[in-house]
Amino acid sequence: MTVSGMLKAAVIATVGFAGVAQAQETVVWWDFLAGGDGVRMKKLIEDFNAAHSGQISIDATTLEWGTPFYAKVQTSAAVGEAPDVMTYHASRIPLAVEQGVLQELTAEDFAAMGIGEADFAPATWDAVTVDRKQYAVPLDTHPIVLYYNKDLLEAAGMLDENGLPKGMDSRDGFTATLQALKDNGVTFPLGSVTADGNFMFRTIYSLVGQQGGELMTDGEFLAGDNADKLANALSVLAGWTEAGLQSTYTDYPATVALFTSGEAAMMINGVWEVPTMTDLNAQGKLFNWGAVELPVIFDQPSTYADSHAFALPLNRGKDMTPEKRAAVLEVVGWIAKNSLFWATAGHIPAYAPVTASPEYAAMEPNATYSSLTANMIFDPKTPLAGVAGPIFDVMSTYFVPTLNGEMDPSEAVESIKEELNAL
Amino acid sequence: MLTNHRKDTLIAALLVTPFLAIYLLVFVWPTIQMFGISFTDAPLIGEGEFVGVENYARLDNDPRFRTAAWNTAYFVLLTVIPGTVVALLVALGVSRLKGRLQAAVLALFFLPYILPVSVVYLIWDWILNFQFGISMHVLDWLRVKRVPITKSRDWFMPAMAVVTIWWTAGFSILLFLAGLRSIPAEIYEAAALDNAGRWTTFRRITWPLLWPVTSLVFTIQLISQLKIFDQVYLFSQGGRPNDNMVLVYYVFQRAFQQNQGGRAAAVAVTLFVLVVVVSVLQFQLLRLSGNRK
Repeated sequence: MTVSGMLKAAVIATVGFAGVAQAQETVVWWDFLAGGDGVRMKKLIEDFNAAHSGQISIDATTLEWGTPFYAKVQTSAAVGEAPDVMTYHASRIPLAVEQGVLQELTAEDFAAMGIGEADFAPATWDAVTVDRKQYAVPLDTHPIVLYYNKDLLEAAGMLDENGLPKGMDSRDGFTATLQALKDNGVTFPLGSVTADGNFMFRTIYSLVGQQGGELMTDGEFLAGDNADKLANALSVLAGWTEAGLQSTYTDYPATVALFTSGEAAMMINGVWEVPTMTDLNAQGKLFNWGAVELPVIFDQPSTYADSHAFALPLNRGKDMTPEKRAAVLEVVGWIAKNSLFWATAGHIPAYAPVTASPEYAAMEPNATYSSLTANMIFDPKTPLAGVAGPIFDVMSTYFVPTLNGEMDPSEAVESIKEELNAL
Repeated sequence: MLTNHRKDTLIAALLVTPFLAIYLLVFVWPTIQMFGISFTDAPLIGEGEFVGVENYARLDNDPRFRTAAWNTAYFVLLTVIPGTVVALLVALGVSRLKGRLQAAVLALFFLPYILPVSVVYLIWDWILNFQFGISMHVLDWLRVKRVPITKSRDWFMPAMAVVTIWWTAGFSILLFLAGLRSIPAEIYEAAALDNAGRWTTFRRITWPLLWPVTSLVFTIQLISQLKIFDQVYLFSQGGRPNDNMVLVYYVFQRAFQQNQGGRAAAVAVTLFVLVVVVSVLQFQLLRLSGNRK
């Protein structure tokens, strides 16, 4: 910590001496974007630095996603060593507010950035709000979508005239599509991350939402018929395993590999894998592919989403100068307004004027699946939720055996309910 | 001789001070604080209210703590004695080799020990992964149904034990080799003159003379295996962490994922006491049984 602090001081000192004539603000930035989206964020940062040369410079570091990132933020904020700005998952904000690691963003801050509530979808704005106060600026929403191999689906006669998969409107319809693929010799009609319950939470929660179910109501987990709705959701997936329609005990990288190698015809995964497909396809190493909103297995369309947002850490014993704060707000506002390029990372920009632009409408497959913005559901707002949060381990421990046919869905739900309410 | 004792003491104290200061600051003081925090409801960072022994009382009725304690004990059982035996066997084999060949073979066995745990995890994931692991292709070839080794409750701990022994045996082998080399060759020559067989030589000479090293290896293993965390964490990420829970993982989960510093500290103190008691008991026991020989 002290060594990195000294290094940082040295860097800041060097930069400070270099720009004697003009006071240049250096904004220290942390993110957890290490995949294809990280490459695109680095480009955005370069563009920002170029556009603000001599005034503001971003000094960015990419850290390990998940618990390591959030543990580091919490410990560094406690000793005044946190960055000036960082990426944050909206789903983690309730916990962050309880931990006291985030600064509130005031109406003046939003005015300084030149953006406001009207620029965001209500669900997205709500996701960064705790007790009517805002703690972050949403950059994107990143839902899960259904990726499909057009060549395999076409061979099985499962593409409609628009080039979209058939049977997207019901459980029976979608199961029939999977079965047709199986009958046509596809090893895994659906590539599912069945070894990773944390990941499957996204799919399962979407299916609960498709029945109008909620994870948490009035501070209680799975109250009333919500437990049955979770059991229904698990039964659908367990049924596909039983019928041999999806890959079992498959972890995240293996699932992506099964899909890109053509062994799995479809895959439910986050939009952040769009760059993987685009890049492989551009190199001529991938079949024809597409991505659409999840099939409607139950009553209504519903898709789980989270949001990458920008937040300002609350550094203990270290006040931010007004100049620094202005620079940080400029960074956040600029990136949000220039997030069209961020959409090439698959994410749906949260800043509405970007998604309303004709350039965005021409982007594929983003334009095809962006209809789901109307049907997004976010994590329940509790300090227990959020990516890599406390409820994850409980769910995962029961999801994995259930999805692979080792455990009965209703038995799993009973245990999950009991353990979640005991947290 | 004119020695100034006071000056000597002063210099000694001066030389020891830097170590002592750091030791007190970064080890003893946090340990004392950990004991204090375990009686509060503090979050990971910040102050908490005094709650008495509540954090400890809750452990009694905590299924996850029970799973963690049981898994840790199971893991210790699977690694400590088998790990020591494997290391001894390898050391006995290596000690029969001579010159460069011995150095080369020893290096091969020692190599895994220098790897960071993340690399160990990747290597074994390539072997055990259900979809792409090499061992699964062997099972296919043998027409045996694939086994989700790191995702099933029955296979997880045995698999972790194999990985851990493979990873850490190198150090124990080195200790055993040093022990074997310190046994004078004349004793073996005398035994050979008396026509002692290989097994008798081992049982009557090697084993008793190697006993101090064996008990050392045993104790080191016991302490380090009670503190098992890294492998379990890496292999259960996203899998079934609460089924694979071990004590240190439980401390991590409570502190860093659930932001409950007080409850995490209570588990940590429990583990600390457990390690102290078990290792003192075991060392005394080994010493006593060693003296009898």
